[in-house]
Amino acid sequence: MNAVRRANYPLIGLWIALVVCALIWLAPFAFMVLTSLKSTADIGRSSVWALPEVWRWDNYTAAAERGELWTVAKNSAYIALIKVPLGLMISAAAAFAIARLRFKRQRILLIVITLGAMVPVQVAIAPMFTTLSSMGLLNSTNGIILPYLAFGIPSQVFFLYGFFRSLPRELDEAARIDGSGNWRLFVRVILPLAKPALAALFILDFVATWNEYGMALVLLQDQDARTVPLALQAFQSQFASNYGQLNAFIIMSILPVLIVYLMFQRFFTQGALAGAIKG
Amino acid sequence: MNIPSKAAALAASALLLTACSGRVQDNTSATSGGQVKLSWWMVTQNADTANAAFKSIIGDFEKQNPNIKVDLQYRAVDAHKDALRTTAGSSSGPDIYYNWAGPGLGGELVKSGVSLDLSKYYEQYKWADRFNPSTLAAYKQYGGYHGVPWTQRTEVVYYHKDQFAKAGISAPPTTYQEWATAAQKLKDAGLTPITMGGKDNWHVMRLLDTFIETNCGAELGDKLNTRATSWAGQPCVDKSFEQLKQWSGNYFNKGFAGLPVAEAGAMFHSGKSAMQLEGDWFTQQNIDAGDDQNNVGVFPMPTGTDRLYGFSEGMYISKSSKHPDEAAKFLDFFTSAAVEGKYLGVFSSVPVNKETKGENPLAPINTQIAELTGKAKGFFLNNDQNFSTDVTTEYWRIQNGVTSGSIAPKEAGALLQKFIDTHKD
Amino acid sequence: MATVSTAPTTSRPTHPSHRPRTPRRGLPVLGALPFLAPALALYGIFLLFPIVSAIYLSFVRWNGFPTVPQIWAGLANYQDIFTNDTVFHTALRNSVIWVVLSLVVPTVLALLLALALNNRLLGRNLLRSAFYIPAVLASIAVATMWTWIYNPNSGLVNSTLTSLGLSSWIQDWLGDPQIALYSVFVAFVWQTTGFSMVLFLAGLQTVPADLVEAAKLDGASAWQTFRNVTLPALRPTFTVVLVLTVISSLKVFDLIVGMTNGGPAQSSQVLALWSYSQSFINHNFGGGNALAVVLLVITLALVLPYLMWTLKEDER
Repeated sequence: MNAVRRANYPLIGLWIALVVCALIWLAPFAFMVLTSLKSTADIGRSSVWALPEVWRWDNYTAAAERGELWTVAKNSAYIALIKVPLGLMISAAAAFAIARLRFKRQRILLIVITLGAMVPVQVAIAPMFTTLSSMGLLNSTNGIILPYLAFGIPSQVFFLYGFFRSLPRELDEAARIDGSGNWRLFVRVILPLAKPALAALFILDFVATWNEYGMALVLLQDQDARTVPLALQAFQSQFASNYGQLNAFIIMSILPVLIVYLMFQRFFTQGALAGAIKG
Repeated sequence: MNIPSKAAALAASALLLTACSGRVQDNTSATSGGQVKLSWWMVTQNADTANAAFKSIIGDFEKQNPNIKVDLQYRAVDAHKDALRTTAGSSSGPDIYYNWAGPGLGGELVKSGVSLDLSKYYEQYKWADRFNPSTLAAYKQYGGYHGVPWTQRTEVVYYHKDQFAKAGISAPPTTYQEWATAAQKLKDAGLTPITMGGKDNWHVMRLLDTFIETNCGAELGDKLNTRATSWAGQPCVDKSFEQLKQWSGNYFNKGFAGLPVAEAGAMFHSGKSAMQLEGDWFTQQNIDAGDDQNNVGVFPMPTGTDRLYGFSEGMYISKSSKHPDEAAKFLDFFTSAAVEGKYLGVFSSVPVNKETKGENPLAPINTQIAELTGKAKGFFLNNDQNFSTDVTTEYWRIQNGVTSGSIAPKEAGALLQKFIDTHKD
Repeated sequence: MATVSTAPTTSRPTHPSHRPRTPRRGLPVLGALPFLAPALALYGIFLLFPIVSAIYLSFVRWNGFPTVPQIWAGLANYQDIFTNDTVFHTALRNSVIWVVLSLVVPTVLALLLALALNNRLLGRNLLRSAFYIPAVLASIAVATMWTWIYNPNSGLVNSTLTSLGLSSWIQDWLGDPQIALYSVFVAFVWQTTGFSMVLFLAGLQTVPADLVEAAKLDGASAWQTFRNVTLPALRPTFTVVLVLTVISSLKVFDLIVGMTNGGPAQSSQVLALWSYSQSFINHNFGGGNALAVVLLVITLALVLPYLMWTLKEDER
């Protein structure tokens, strides 16, 4: 790459514009953090950008207690850490089969599976409720994993299908010549090559599972089984007049996801690339 | 070795795992060794005192009845309604559940076969004589007896005396004309006459319901609200919507339409408005928010019909409950004069048991409200309890259309009637 | 679940001259079954069965109570949608507006950001993260944040406008039926632009650098380079972004529920939310499911052609 010898003014101008845009883009966060440290009286009286009169760090502890942060975070973590790897395995297995399957119905099967991505949660919610209820799996963090798995399948299979199709057949041939069965082929050869794609999907699915609201609202009504987004909703009626605590709770509820994302985001950009946006 | 089902085995074991170890919410009344467990579903209480009260009531009952355990569960309002619907008729429903007594809410559950007819318990425990007749009416309206009264909520206008004085209003209004004049005087004095939380549709609805009662009178009002008479072509209906539009345009707080009701309340508590249409639950919130109680007063909606705006909340027993006798025993305890008297002011300030004597002094405002309730000739009900839920949704759409200007007031009644006509089940 | 889904590659054999002449062996059907079984089982129970159930329910009258019988009503619910439903036309119109706006605003914004952030800039990764981070938040959290931002008394927007001396610009953001939908849309743009931006960034990596060089050497302007080299290379990315946008914008729910609940006066209602409201709030399950079927048909009509085309490409 040629180093830029002279100052590239348009580029600098672009950079300044981007930085300003980024700051505006992040303004809501700054606003929330500031509000979360104010008392209710302070919020009503002082200007939005003024620093808090008294720094109410106790908003955070009070909100954590009121919203049962530890319980809901534990539930969300439990669900996500089981669902995400399991779901990826199931989707990868199915995508592998479809990508390597050789009969006419392969395309139809793929279309049918992908159509599942278009179903809004709300359409499926009532029958799902009945099904889980008859299995005795309502209000259960274990039970909700099943529909979560199901809803993750369409897009993951579609994504991985494309990825697997791009892997050369010679790998299969070589493996079979070595005496590998389907399973070995899948686990020893194909999956390791899919690491970037799997890593990308891991992040995205973890985030999506952590944030899932629609199904949890109906299927996890028991207070002990609630996940993080549900706790947020309970806050809205109780704390409509205590915005300091409400904002504190929101900040705390998004922190884990932010951290996971920032830690693993390099996989995501690589994976999105590997994820078959190829000309 | 070709492992045919390693993946399948993995999946199967996962499913097995979830099926076996899923935490199951068991709401069936368990009977083990003579012990009866009653499940009781309530809506989330905002006040800590209410939560504590429930705990101690249950504790006292269980002490007196060692073979009965009561398991109380809370849900948010919408979740509570939905849970009752989805578990209707099944064993995962509750033994006792809370509901609003109006035909559109509690009544829907009765009509859908969720509620048990309690006539035999009314006889056994003499409940028919226990409760105020005007409250009891709501529980007799389906034939037989469904549910047991818990509260009688009364809704009035809370106001700030100093703001009234500043605007030159000498006494609380007793007619609509005086009320409208008072609102105008407040506006002229640079004050916000009345705060509304329009995002919560039922808040603005309270004013509309009041106008309907005022303009149409008690008899026609009842006929309209029970849909026995058409809303179309009624001058009093048109007038009511006209007044709603006028009030929302001139006397409501700016930006009311997107404001949640709790925030409207916060505005009132901090003295930013002169009036708010609320129920007796508002008193404690007002005290907690630090509003000077010497400065706050209440007056009934000036409808001119001697009826108060209010509704009742009750406890119902499920038809599919396996232990209705024990449930009834608990409700008998729960609604006894002793228990109601001990906790009067915690849940509500107006007793439903005729013999209740409150053990603790009520907040002054609530004493006032209780007196008003005693003198009232009856109640007119919030329309979101009168109407079935789909009519309520349309009622709110039309009400908001009028206040925002997209629906003309004189078309409102006909629109509502059209909906009612095309949605008769 | 909103996980990423991108187009499958056009399968080009890597070494065409070395393509073996023996017929390709893939997995025999039986061998593939165990790999497919868990996915198909879960999908069947929790996705296919609900869809079938929804279609069935769209033909009955039912209030949702298991104790109340479902009464066959034929096409009555569908008739009601088009004649008696006072909210349907608004919901449909809003859904269409939402889809069209989603296809334009966040997409163009995302493309511009991707192009800008494709340059080697100081703190590029930080900047990219800044724009992407809202996509990581739960929709309900975004809804809560923005409701507070639009708060008429102490929210960010009105306070900032006032302190800039622009208080005449203040509107009833979430309370004015004319603009409520668009106010919510702003929050949607904030939330989703970053995601499309990342997809475009990935796609930009596939633009052949030598072609860009050649164009520059030929004296092409930036715009010409963009139009003739970059855009064509981005075509697959565009199709992916557009399809995902259509699907997710038709499903939008949490954001609207959290900010306006379809109000005021049902002016910000959309099909997915109205379908839910008819079932769960109005206890009109027949009507609600009929709306869901309508929504599904619309989504299918928009997305199916693309799916078929992609897979046909793939077969080549």
